[in-house]
Amino acid sequence: DFLQSPQISKCRSPEMETFSCFWTAGNFYNLTVPRVLQLLYKKSNEEDWKECPDYITSGQNSCYFNASYTSVWTPYCVQLASKNEVYDKKCFSVDEIVLPDPPVHLNWTLLNTSQTGIHGDIQVRWDPPPTADVRKGWITLEYELQYKEVNETKWKELKPRLSTMVPLYSLKTARDYEIRIRSRQRTSEKFGEFSEILYVSFSQIGIGCDHCTEEVEFPWFLVLVFGVCGLAVTVISIMLSKQPRLKMLIFPPVPVPKIKGIDPDLLKKGRLDEVNSILACHDNYKTQLYSDDLWVEFIELDIEDPDEKNRASDTDRLLSEDHLKSHSSLGAKDDDSGRASCCEPDIPETDFSASDTCDATCDSDQFKKAAEKDLLCLDRQDNDESLPSLANTDPQRQHRNTQPENSHLWAPFGDSVESPRPSVHTQISNQNSLASTDFYAQVSDITPAGRVVLSPGQKSKLGRAQREGCTEQNFTMDNTYFCEADVKKCIAVTSHEENEPPVQEQGYNEDGYFTTESLTTTVANLGASTAAPPSSEMPVTDYTSIHIVQSPQGLVLNATALPVPDKEFNMSCGYVSTDQLNKIMP
Amino acid sequence: GLLLAALLVSHMLLTKEGVTSLPICPNGSVNCQLSLEELFDRAVKLSHYIHFLSSEMFNEFDERYAQGRGFIAKAVNSCHTATLTTPEDKEQAQQIHHEDLLNLILGVLRSWNDPLIHLASEVQRIKEAPETILWKAVEIEEQNKRLLEGMEKIVGRVHSGEVENDIYTPWDGLPSLQLADEDSRLFAFYNLLHCLRRDSHKIDNYLKVLKCRLIHDNNC
Repeated sequence: DFLQSPQISKCRSPEMETFSCFWTAGNFYNLTVPRVLQLLYKKSNEEDWKECPDYITSGQNSCYFNASYTSVWTPYCVQLASKNEVYDKKCFSVDEIVLPDPPVHLNWTLLNTSQTGIHGDIQVRWDPPPTADVRKGWITLEYELQYKEVNETKWKELKPRLSTMVPLYSLKTARDYEIRIRSRQRTSEKFGEFSEILYVSFSQIGIGCDHCTEEVEFPWFLVLVFGVCGLAVTVISIMLSKQPRLKMLIFPPVPVPKIKGIDPDLLKKGRLDEVNSILACHDNYKTQLYSDDLWVEFIELDIEDPDEKNRASDTDRLLSEDHLKSHSSLGAKDDDSGRASCCEPDIPETDFSASDTCDATCDSDQFKKAAEKDLLCLDRQDNDESLPSLANTDPQRQHRNTQPENSHLWAPFGDSVESPRPSVHTQISNQNSLASTDFYAQVSDITPAGRVVLSPGQKSKLGRAQREGCTEQNFTMDNTYFCEADVKKCIAVTSHEENEPPVQEQGYNEDGYFTTESLTTTVANLGASTAAPPSSEMPVTDYTSIHIVQSPQGLVLNATALPVPDKEFNMSCGYVSTDQLNKIMP
Repeated sequence: GLLLAALLVSHMLLTKEGVTSLPICPNGSVNCQLSLEELFDRAVKLSHYIHFLSSEMFNEFDERYAQGRGFIAKAVNSCHTATLTTPEDKEQAQQIHHEDLLNLILGVLRSWNDPLIHLASEVQRIKEAPETILWKAVEIEEQNKRLLEGMEKIVGRVHSGEVENDIYTPWDGLPSLQLADEDSRLFAFYNLLHCLRRDSHKIDNYLKVLKCRLIHDNNC
């Protein structure tokens, strides 16, 4: 038995108006001088320790502070000491040590019983502890009710609540119950003591059901057994059923591997000769694979006559609306040929260089010529002449544009290889008739919808005189095209003579050369006003509008004003090569 | 989609624990007159919620940081609101005039405005402060503002004469919350949270006493 020094066990306030401290004396039996324990206390703002005012009211080894000594939110310190020695010390404030008394006057009333009389509901009521001044709101209490059957050991708890009454549902009328309640200050954690136990007995009020002892419980066990049996029967019947569909639905067949390989048994057994022979027949395996496997397609090579193909099929397809949506490339077929996935037309590399040479040729010299001005260096071609060869980069010669009566297409001087071929053909307003005559057109306008409006070269001449002023401007030499700003200036000076749609700030006329970027931005930035279809205004039938822009270098020109989907000109140099166009057009 | 999101957000904002939405009189509505009973109900709910949060926050802080540092022994602290003479027991609370008590409540709330703002910001600098403490600090600061507004409304209704605004204690504890020494800094937080718990309990109690006195005629 070890020595225990005196300790302050707890300090408690039942109603936040008084408080008491309790201590244990310890077992210092061996002291000669009988110990006199004192409890000293001090409020936080005081200097001196004072002695306990009341050692009696709360019992032995206690100190009681009545209302006049109690200040609720003031920090206190108490210490247990004898003459010379301090044994224990505690500091607190009264609001922290509130532990209410138990509720009183518990009673219960019957609410109703079930039809069979086996279960009943009751209402339990009580009063708050008399010491707690709940009526004036000085303290707010919460109550927790616990109940159990008389012969049970574990109490059932209800959630703490503020009200002083609570219903209990579905109590068995054949059994007796015990109820107890305790309280705590709201927002505290600790509960006070339990109240006295309340006994609930239904038989006392004559409701007790003597013959209701047998209880109908839910037959869980039976349900389980039958459920398992039923499930087993179902599964077996499905497995054995002749209905392949049902069987496949519930037990889908596990696919066996389709890859033909080497039988691992051969490797295990060490039959290397056979393995070798199998491996040697690798080629055979390959062909087998191809012939058996359904998922590989051969890439179909297009060995048809390009002209015929272009004339008959591609353009038609290109010009019809459907192909706008499909991944139509110039060489697209409808079947799953290898080229279907490739959206770029079959363009030889040289076509791209055509655009580069354009840079060299589209210099300002052209502008000085009162002769045609093509957009994007397009007027190199001469429909009467053969197309300038790539090798021949003499700009002057290429700029020699005889003014045909035809309109100029802004076809780039593409391949000279195919020089005898006519350059880009415009299409007459009849959508599907592919014009066979060669003529050029110039891009006269680009509508907000993204359509490039072409006008015949003749007409452009009319207004050319007025546009002389434009041509005198300085254009950057390095850039083959006008800067957009220059174009704008140019446009601002001139006005549209023909029945062209009203010029916007970024509107184009056929005088301008444009960089791809300017074209792009212009197309993107064109304002709200849509241009009327030029074909309706232009007397000449060979107007075209850009129908499709094939990325990255394609342009399909259409005579009619078809609504062009919002596509940007994202060509490398802004025009198609002759070759490409030839593929597009007849 | 948007509507559902808006509904969810508004539901979250409205159903705070302990504070239910009372949509009879939306905030900012000038012509709507809540009854005094309604105003007191809301005020009591708010004060209870604030005290609940302060309690929890103090307990969490105590558990997390104060154990083993002997803070409890030192904590015979004085709060900055100690200079305000507030009723310290039931007798005094019953004897004080309700207008004076209301002014005192306002004074205490105002005095806590500043410390709460700094608490919310400084507590984030505590090393590895738990999210719950951070959230509670911000929440308490918000709710305190709302309670202050509500109390000013009540005072406007109840006061017969001029409203006194001079009950206020300044707080100069910010440097202690920013001390370099971690122990000292944590002790400063401990004290502040302890004071907050105590003062929020005070306010809660005073409001309940006033409510029972004015609305229910001392018969809650």
